[in-house]
Amino acid sequence: MNFIGLCREAINVAVKAGAKEAEALVVHRHTIGSEIERAEIKTCTDVMDVGMGIRAVESRKVGFAYTNILTSGELKKTAENAVKASKASRVDENWRQLPRRKGYPPVRATYDKRVTDVTSDETVLLCQRMMAVAHEVDKRVLPAFGGVEVLVQEAVCLNTNGVEVEDKGTSLVCALGTMARSETQVSPVCYEFKASRMYEPDPEWVGREAGRLAIESINIGKVKAGKFPVLLEPFALEAMLTYTLVQSVRGDIVSRGRSLFKDKVGKKIAGENISISDDGTLAGGLRSGKTDMEGVPKQRTPIIEDGILRSFLYDNYWGRLEGENSTGNASRGGGGLRLPPYGTTPTIQPTNIVLEAGTVTDDELIREVRNGYYVRSVQGAHQSNPETGEFSVAIAPAWRIKDGEIAYAVKGVMITGNAYDMIKEISLLGKDARQVQTFIAPKVVVSELNVVAK
Amino acid sequence: MKETFTSVLEKLRKRGASYAEIRAQNNNNTFITVRDGQVEAVTLSTETGAAIRVLAENAWGFSTTNSLEQNNLEKSANSAFSMAKAAGRSVRETVKLAPVKAVEDKATVLVKKDPREVGISTKVNNLLTINKTCFDFDKRIKSVTINYADLATEQTLATTDGTFIEQEKMFVWNYCWVTGKSNGIMASARDETGAHGYELFDLELPRKIAERVSKKVTQQLEAKTPKSGLHPAVIGTNVVGVLAHEALGHICEADLALAGSAVMGKIGEKIASEQVTIFDSALIPQGFGALKYDDEGVSGQKTLLIRDGVLVGFMHNRETAGKMNVSPTGNARAQDFRFPPLIRMRDTCFEKGDYTFAELLEDIKFGYFLEAFRGGQANLDGTFTVGVQSAFKIVDGELGDPVRNVGISGNTLETLKQVDACGEDFGLELGRCGKGQYMFVSPGGPPVRVKSILIGGS
Repeated sequence: MNFIGLCREAINVAVKAGAKEAEALVVHRHTIGSEIERAEIKTCTDVMDVGMGIRAVESRKVGFAYTNILTSGELKKTAENAVKASKASRVDENWRQLPRRKGYPPVRATYDKRVTDVTSDETVLLCQRMMAVAHEVDKRVLPAFGGVEVLVQEAVCLNTNGVEVEDKGTSLVCALGTMARSETQVSPVCYEFKASRMYEPDPEWVGREAGRLAIESINIGKVKAGKFPVLLEPFALEAMLTYTLVQSVRGDIVSRGRSLFKDKVGKKIAGENISISDDGTLAGGLRSGKTDMEGVPKQRTPIIEDGILRSFLYDNYWGRLEGENSTGNASRGGGGLRLPPYGTTPTIQPTNIVLEAGTVTDDELIREVRNGYYVRSVQGAHQSNPETGEFSVAIAPAWRIKDGEIAYAVKGVMITGNAYDMIKEISLLGKDARQVQTFIAPKVVVSELNVVAK
Repeated sequence: MKETFTSVLEKLRKRGASYAEIRAQNNNNTFITVRDGQVEAVTLSTETGAAIRVLAENAWGFSTTNSLEQNNLEKSANSAFSMAKAAGRSVRETVKLAPVKAVEDKATVLVKKDPREVGISTKVNNLLTINKTCFDFDKRIKSVTINYADLATEQTLATTDGTFIEQEKMFVWNYCWVTGKSNGIMASARDETGAHGYELFDLELPRKIAERVSKKVTQQLEAKTPKSGLHPAVIGTNVVGVLAHEALGHICEADLALAGSAVMGKIGEKIASEQVTIFDSALIPQGFGALKYDDEGVSGQKTLLIRDGVLVGFMHNRETAGKMNVSPTGNARAQDFRFPPLIRMRDTCFEKGDYTFAELLEDIKFGYFLEAFRGGQANLDGTFTVGVQSAFKIVDGELGDPVRNVGISGNTLETLKQVDACGEDFGLELGRCGKGQYMFVSPGGPPVRVKSILIGGS
């Protein structure tokens, strides 16, 4: 289908119906996948979803409409609906204008033809391999759920300010959640995955790691409450900072007075060893691409450099309002009702948040903790308070570190603290980083967190 | 439409599908976001699509299409069939779907006000009233976000077993996030509510919603963080349903139970104190889980999970019911046509007891009253967490000062044994649950007292 032509047609209808500015976005997603359920591949899926979202602005009143039926008649109705919605809305004092045309950066390793050729049969084989390897680790490992998913996405965005951009991307994910049972204990779910934009499936690694984690989680020992140094894996760090730090550097949150960092640009908010950027142009990054979801080029934005707060993340709306440029962080879809990407107006979301790695090996990190805890994942981080940074989360899988070595797994333990204090108390950063969701981070050691247990 | 669907299904059956279903939808949705009084975007949507699920060779194939034309349905059906064949190659266990009676029915939602017939301007005005009431409530209120949605779905479900159900679904949902600031301290509170029709704003006046959430914010501004450790607690009606949902509900979803959750193999065992009865129901009319049929055409019903402390059942779809030789419970639900149905909760609640609120508190020397939740999460091993946005100390049997940011955590099999009294009131929340797809659910129950639970503070 000629998406650019369809977008142009929709924009023309909106303008004819009275819109002063108009924008059309088409997102086409095709996923093929196999799903694992209790050590069996029970389901294969082939899901195509395409739709168009149309934004119409008239006298600073913004309307939006979307549909997944891309016929001329339905698109005309949808464009008219967008104008109708704008007329029924109220003046948005904050509205400036839609993004203007700009050049796009070259971004490497975000699309791979070989990924588009993956068949459902191949995803089944990858699942089988992943489970077989997990089972080889130990017979007590149960691959409880997981799967392999291939995504091919194409997005097209046009507006009346001259933006016209297409971006294609691919990804391939192998994921496995395992559990293990001994006579007396059951492990928490241990989750491992490998996601890549290029054709780089690694079912063996995922199976081996998911199996190892489950087995290492059933040897459960005694918990000690109190203040301890804690080693956080990227999984835990991502969860704990996404609902706190990342929220507080969003331009809309800052602009609306809900961020502790409002007047802190240029000031020290983290330890000197902490540098964090948002990089939507990183080669192979899971959230990399040439354009964001309203046609603004993606870019690298420094957030914290050597502990000093440098800048916030913006989309077009909040950027213009604050007199800053959009940082290419407009995202669409999702939210509380998991709408499709063409189904919402933009919100500010990070692309790839990069926490710069240090120089310390895993063994050294554990030795440095000496007497504390090793946390792979946390549960309940989305209940943190973004305004204050306060969190209180259960840790699992997690292990006790004694005498500089991992001693045994622990259960029924919470850690509590404040994320904004925590970024000042990271004493060590590991040398190897990996991407989990939006975060690319190494393992870190926090010098002291409150460990709560029975 | 019926003829088209039957013909597509019949072809699948002839090719060797042991079961197939078409679930087609027409959706009309409205979304409105208001941020600090600015109407950010009024959104109108029209969607059409069908999900086709095929069981062949003991495996499932799933495919979707955005067109209900026969040739597109057939294309999608063929794809679903080959998906099932691809998965089926490795499957070792057989799938036996629990039998159900074929149903032909037309089910409507009883609402007083169909949201599709309410003007955009009325909807916007109500949200602006919430916004203004919040800012007028207290000058320390600094920021108000309101997300509103109404979703109207006309669904047709046709299966190779002869079921053909046309069913309406309607949800009106309102979510506020309000932030206050005082002397450099920031605090926020959330409020989520809903109904099946636009009568929501007659039942819950915009003013009332605004005052309820604003009051929580101002309380939070004065609150201290709690003492960490094991404490007795009274879990309020707003939080208790989330406890039922997170601590028990998820691990009693039969797919997760079979995957090895903490309650697997424990049917008939006493896993909670005798005061505890927990059910999951599709029969509470105002609940978000109220549905005449689930997305496999199984009738909605009330399913007991724990009776007087004994685990008596799980929530099932036809596949898990067949595997465990029980009747399906009507818990197969899908977010929309883009997703296959999964086992999802409906309205998951503790049953009432007969304690007054004062009686629940009176024997507690020091503990906490957990008033309103922020969110929750469950792990298959029975570890649950519930984040609490507002709470109060209980000192010598009386409510004391407010505390903020309380997290509770525990293991189902230990915590439910600690429940020693249930109150006589009953509350129902109208919220959402995420399991890869979102779903509207209503957790609920009376205030419940637990002898001891792990409280995380700072």
